[in-house]
Amino acid sequence: MPTAFVLVLLGITVALIAVIVARPEITAGKAGKILAFLALFIFPVFGGVLGAQNHIQRSEETSFCLSCHIMGDYGKSLMVDDPRYIPAAHYQNGRVPRDEACYTCHTDYTLYSGFAKAKLRGLHHVWVQYFGKPEHPIKLYSPYNNRECLHCHLGSRSFEEGAIHTADPQTMADIKSNKLSCVSSGCHDMVHNVSQLDHVKYWKPAQ
Amino acid sequence: MKQTEFISKKLRTAGILIIAGLVVEILSLVWNHPLSFVAFIGIGGLLLAAGILLYLWALVSPGSRSGEGGAKSSGG
Repeated sequence: MPTAFVLVLLGITVALIAVIVARPEITAGKAGKILAFLALFIFPVFGGVLGAQNHIQRSEETSFCLSCHIMGDYGKSLMVDDPRYIPAAHYQNGRVPRDEACYTCHTDYTLYSGFAKAKLRGLHHVWVQYFGKPEHPIKLYSPYNNRECLHCHLGSRSFEEGAIHTADPQTMADIKSNKLSCVSSGCHDMVHNVSQLDHVKYWKPAQ
Repeated sequence: MKQTEFISKKLRTAGILIIAGLVVEILSLVWNHPLSFVAFIGIGGLLLAAGILLYLWALVSPGSRSGEGGAKSSGG
């Protein structure tokens, strides 16, 4: 739902409630009661749900992830001019949508992995960001799951017929069952590599 | 008269709480910041919930019911 639509709906709700606050006596009649029910219950609940949905949708955007100071280097790593950098190669070549680059490869991160535990992690991140001392480098809560790669690569020719992937029948089975990690098995292990960002060249997209 | 005042007061308070919650939610939607979602849920959501609950309570509370019952009995 577009943000503008949610804002208009919330604005109309505020205006309707303002009328009731200014003249509560209008709720004495049947029409007034219906208006009060719509303005004080239905619209705020509906607007609140749409607003929450809008926030969750926005939190999937790359710009949202990079709005935390600690994520700056990870955003910078997307512009490294080196095809061995897996996130950079995906970002620069449009293999992931640029405006949702982080979320596309980290679909199980905090908010999206579960309910209570995920929300607590999200709150913990906010706490650490403003009142604590974040760890450097930051670490994933659990090892990177091949599922995130296979979501797109499964069935693709370069993956299914790749020489190393098919060299041994067990290799493919282990990759697909997440026993052999795509990113930490000596294969595609150049990921964000933020400690080396001072020693790399950067891609400058043509304007 | 007493019942009308009771309902009016509750509606006003509920309305003000909901307006405050909605204003916080509107501001959080135009604020691109990691804390905007926390503000949306933690402040806006709480104010909204408090206002809605107060409104619902005003509808079913003894003060409004006794008045309604009185109106019915007087009408019957």
